[in-house]
Amino acid sequence: MYGDLGNKLVQHAKRTQNLSHLPPYQTELVRAVTREVRDLDKDVADLLEPFQGSFNPANDQATACTLLVNHLSMRRNKRCLLAYHRTRADRLEELVWKGYDVVDLAGQQVRDGQGGFNGPPGMATGNGGTSSLSPQEEDYVRQYSDLLAAYKGQWTDIDLTGSLEPPRDLFIDVRVLKDAGEIQTEYGAITLTKNSQFYVRQGDVERLIAQGYLQKLS
Amino acid sequence: MSYYDIDAILTDAEQKKVPCKFELDVPELGYLDNNPSQPLKAGTSIGLPLWLAEPLALTSRSPNNPEDSSSSFVTLDLPPSLSNEVMSALKADPRAVPLRDQSHNFYGLGTRMLDVFEEAEICAILRRTFVTRAADIALHARKAGATEDMGVGAGEEFLRGLEEWERKLFRKAHEGAKGTKEWMERVKKY
Repeated sequence: MYGDLGNKLVQHAKRTQNLSHLPPYQTELVRAVTREVRDLDKDVADLLEPFQGSFNPANDQATACTLLVNHLSMRRNKRCLLAYHRTRADRLEELVWKGYDVVDLAGQQVRDGQGGFNGPPGMATGNGGTSSLSPQEEDYVRQYSDLLAAYKGQWTDIDLTGSLEPPRDLFIDVRVLKDAGEIQTEYGAITLTKNSQFYVRQGDVERLIAQGYLQKLS
Repeated sequence: MSYYDIDAILTDAEQKKVPCKFELDVPELGYLDNNPSQPLKAGTSIGLPLWLAEPLALTSRSPNNPEDSSSSFVTLDLPPSLSNEVMSALKADPRAVPLRDQSHNFYGLGTRMLDVFEEAEICAILRRTFVTRAADIALHARKAGATEDMGVGAGEEFLRGLEEWERKLFRKAHEGAKGTKEWMERVKKY
């Protein structure tokens, strides 16, 4: 029946709400629902064709009823599609605010061939080989990150996305999980190579921990 | 209720559909009755999802004469989840009925149907059901947090009978109790 596919999409969204990671984008399902809308629209056009723009619902109630059913099905599909994408977009925005490098994370797990086991719980790919984001979503994340960066730029002395937990120690031990190149700190430059260990100031590496390059040792 | 609310959308497409009686012949809609080659006859009763049934029932067939407001495309009936049997079971003991078996969004469905139907009794029963069950849920949520050894099986058995809204309440109550405990322990430490 019309609307069943849209319902499946909403069930995916419901599952997404309860997951910590973002499941892969349902390209096929979204395409099928939009195709259904297009078919319904064609049906409506075909039904209205013989009337030449002078359709009176009171005179032809059966047709009016069919048109209404078609229209309601289209509206329903629209709502399902919008709700699905909104749920995902909300999740992506949340990840951007938390400071995860969403696009990089999604791509890199594809290279690893599995959900990151030591990175933050950001992305996971179900059908290895493709990103769990649609191209439009990747674009959205990129532009949203830019927007957030511009917004944060107005207050240089406050880190809006910083941790709310007060730090216990000024310096912490970290282990490098993957090569991150050279970083500049107040005490000079450090070269972060994989599997090495450092005693650094927490403020200098917070971002790198959030992005999954470093691991904090307690 | 928001347009983007996932639960609201799912409520509109419950598995147990709303029985509708068509008031007129519609040649094109045979597929709704799983019979695409035949016209849909007037008087046929079929189950439609709520998102389709409600607007169909509320739309007037002849918009040009508003006096004739009684005529719509379909006539609605109460869905089986709100039938007399379920209502008398709830009247007997609200805690004994696994609401989830009736509908995943039982209260949501009830609210939506009561928008259309004038049923003071169902309204009263639903309200009493929620109040009685909510107390029970709060109790279970607290217990599940306080003692680790409370079997997972028992908790799941209880959760199984809860519908979506009640599960949310359970989770909130559970997190609340847990949060308070954590906070109290931190206070003691300093």
